[in-house]
Amino acid sequence: MKKPAALKSACKDFEEDLVLHYYGEGGAAERERVERHVSGCACCRRFVDDLQRLLPRMTESRELPQTFWDNYLRETVAKLAEQEEKKFCWRSLLAPMQSWWLPAFGTVAIALLAFGLVLGKGKLTLFADHSVASLPQEVLADGEQLEFFKSLDMLESLDRLDGREGGRVKPKSNQTSLPKIEWAAA
Amino acid sequence: MKIPTISAWALGLFLLLTADSAFAAADWRNLSPKEKDRIQRNYQRWEKLPPQDKDHLRDEWHRYQRLPQDERDRIKQRYDEDRRRRHND
Repeated sequence: MKKPAALKSACKDFEEDLVLHYYGEGGAAERERVERHVSGCACCRRFVDDLQRLLPRMTESRELPQTFWDNYLRETVAKLAEQEEKKFCWRSLLAPMQSWWLPAFGTVAIALLAFGLVLGKGKLTLFADHSVASLPQEVLADGEQLEFFKSLDMLESLDRLDGREGGRVKPKSNQTSLPKIEWAAA
Repeated sequence: MKIPTISAWALGLFLLLTADSAFAAADWRNLSPKEKDRIQRNYQRWEKLPPQDKDHLRDEWHRYQRLPQDERDRIKQRYDEDRRRRHND
């Protein structure tokens, strides 16, 4: 396609007036002033010629055939479909599972899990620390209780360690199951 | 559409409940295996104790807690020494 020739430059003072003159703007005196200048200025005359040649081309609309619009629509729809497919490609992996049994399977699995938790009274040991099996949650969750049970041996002999042996009263129980307990003398 | 939504809610609730107990056991997880073993043994002994012995030990614990820090350190040190001595004997 042949490239249209560039617009020739006109006198700086008249450039704007020439465009307005082309569109029929301005009063009679103004038009006469411009025409007088153009008749004596080769640059501005060329500029006016170029305007007359180029400006109508800018406004003309190109009629496109119906086949173009048919193809345009088909291609746009295809591109949108491709984009949509890319976005949800992971769904195609689950395509065979998209029937009624996927939600049904999920519901049954959750129901079984809930039953297991209820019947097992929270003793689900799948991910649990197996060493905590014999300790209740309230002990595990309470740092002070853990410290207490850690110090139990020491507490049993606290009187002696504290130098208060003989000063404290032995508990009433005589059947303690702690062989290591060294109770202070009554 | 309703069933997946309900399933998602149920799963979220389950994770919330299990996360609570998982965070609760953080103190326990920070203990060494030896300390865990000692706590478990002591807890089992505690379970078999008569109530008056439990009361006595609770009182001792509170008394120990009220002691000044340096006193507690001294007691702990004496206890560790005693234990080491008993272990060597």
